[in-house]
Amino acid sequence: MSENHLDMLEESVSKPALLRSGLVLMVAGLLWFGSIPALAQGQSAGAPTQQDVEAAAVPSADAVPATQGDAGGIPTSDEAISAGAALFKNNCQQCHAIEQVVVGPALKNIHTRRPVEWTAAFIRNSQKLIQSGDAYAVNLYNQYNKTQMPSFNFNDEEIMSLLAYIKAESDSPTGTGTNQASPGQGGEGVAPAESAATPGYITAILVVLGIVLVLVLVVLVLVLAVLRRYLNQRTDLDAADREIIDRRMSFRSVVSSKPFLFLVIFIFTAVVFKNVIDGLYQIGVQQGYAPTQPIAFSHKLHAGTYQIDCNYCHTGAYKAKSANIPSVNICMNCHNSIGTDRPEIKKLYAAVENNQPIQWVRIHNLPDLAYFNHAQHTSVGGIECQTCHGPIQEMEVVYQYSKLTMGWCINCHRDTEVKTEGNDYYDKLVQLHNEAEAGGKLRVKDIGGMECSRCHY
Amino acid sequence: MLKKISIYGFSALALGVGLVGCSANDDYPGMEYAPQMYHSVPYEPLSQITDESAGSWLSSRTDEKGEFYNSNGLNPYEMNMRLPAEGTVARNAAAELPFRMPKDSAGSTYYLDQASATLRSPLPASEAVLSQGKVLYTSYCYPCHGESGAGDGPVGQVYKGVANLSGGQVAQATEGHLFYVITHGKGRMWPHDKQISIEDRWKIVRYVQTLQNQGNN
Repeated sequence: MSENHLDMLEESVSKPALLRSGLVLMVAGLLWFGSIPALAQGQSAGAPTQQDVEAAAVPSADAVPATQGDAGGIPTSDEAISAGAALFKNNCQQCHAIEQVVVGPALKNIHTRRPVEWTAAFIRNSQKLIQSGDAYAVNLYNQYNKTQMPSFNFNDEEIMSLLAYIKAESDSPTGTGTNQASPGQGGEGVAPAESAATPGYITAILVVLGIVLVLVLVVLVLVLAVLRRYLNQRTDLDAADREIIDRRMSFRSVVSSKPFLFLVIFIFTAVVFKNVIDGLYQIGVQQGYAPTQPIAFSHKLHAGTYQIDCNYCHTGAYKAKSANIPSVNICMNCHNSIGTDRPEIKKLYAAVENNQPIQWVRIHNLPDLAYFNHAQHTSVGGIECQTCHGPIQEMEVVYQYSKLTMGWCINCHRDTEVKTEGNDYYDKLVQLHNEAEAGGKLRVKDIGGMECSRCHY
Repeated sequence: MLKKISIYGFSALALGVGLVGCSANDDYPGMEYAPQMYHSVPYEPLSQITDESAGSWLSSRTDEKGEFYNSNGLNPYEMNMRLPAEGTVARNAAAELPFRMPKDSAGSTYYLDQASATLRSPLPASEAVLSQGKVLYTSYCYPCHGESGAGDGPVGQVYKGVANLSGGQVAQATEGHLFYVITHGKGRMWPHDKQISIEDRWKIVRYVQTLQNQGNN
């Protein structure tokens, strides 16, 4: 299925790509005629500055370990650090990070900021420490919205290994490996790039072929001129031959000739006919509709890169007639702390503060005369969302992928086999069907998928 | 004769060019055939047309509004849907009642502790429940908590502060605790009670229990 989608994408890409490669050739030609040195200089002047910045950034990160004080007997062995890493991942990670404030404070260089005994006491029972009136602990408690840190019954060795891990992470110049995992590591980005490269390759061949043909034409015209001149110089030709040589094709005679007129009218009629038929077939079909939404939400980022299931936001997709448009509180599950300073995200906060709905533009407008139920197709039929909605996880802006015409519905109902395995409801039906039509698969059309009143009532 | 051809030709050309404008693109949904049959007369929950003059050229309405105007002027923002009245209990096949235990006030864990101690799952840890729980877990929990529950999902790595379900303290958490946290959130996690029905939450809890055990073994 997904391969088909890619093919479709390729087709849609190829036309603009043709134009683009033409432009690229023109630009390349311009470059060729002289301006290469100037541009090359410009590029080489730009490159070092970036390197300089990076080079300048590295030493400042290296400088961090130099500022730390006495390690206070914290082990530095690899076993202690890996034991600490496991403890941290299992118990601390949900509220603490090394570099940034999560629920609780960032733990970078905690071993230099607080004595080991104090840290141990706080980990084992923070409430006891706070109630004992320890000024730092009370201050911390108030600063973080009076959030209680649970008590952890770690022994001395475990606490030391935990500190060893935090120390090792604080000292590493690049920060932690796990915390800096790049968000764009999903493999989805690779496939479209490859598919875009193929049509480019093909159009390049076509352009070269066109150039060769033009060259051949030029050569032929030249040959004709040379031959004509040669014949003109000969004196032993009679009048009939000379007439043939001197005969020029006049523009007027060509235009008024019958075959030419016929050809022009035929091509004109054919093009107009095709446009009219195509246009008539487009009436009432909203395929390709991609309206601008009030918030520039990217399905490619959310469903593709971050692999968030459709159902997380479209909560009705498996349960209800409509898949539903997510409410702002679903957005806020993550965006309470992700991308808080971006203008598009700020629109969410404005909506929450003003208790105002976000007016998303509906893309799939099924006519009121037809009934469609999501749950019936996704839960019962077991159809993937992408079958009708296309490669949503690759869409920056969502467009209507399918035609949503009656023919499109009916074709699928004709072909699709009913998923009867493991569903007792169908057992008897399959048995009856097999008796009536030996070997015939039970398709949607056999269980009423072609009845008018199934969708129109 | 030529004149006749050119008249026909140009009118056909004009028709063709005109029809090109029928197909949908970016912000234009395309031309509609028999629009009266396309647009809903009753309030349509997920589409709203606030333009009062929409379709006024064929309107048969008595209130002088356009035929396609589809909004409820009595609601805020002319919304077609309303919030259910406060305290409404949705009827459902499982006859489940709403979960009434409130969210803890900041700094308190009173209700969380109560839920941990007293709440019991109404669902058995049967194969059907676990497989449904796994599907729901993949939909609702996987992005942050990851496949094995280690808190290493693709979103979790960016969001930070995601609990590890397969080890440490959460691996010891009771089913009531898990249910309460899915419902009301905890720490960095926000409440998911609006997204996931009570029955589905208990299915997820059953599946998460298998992840907890996997960590202990």
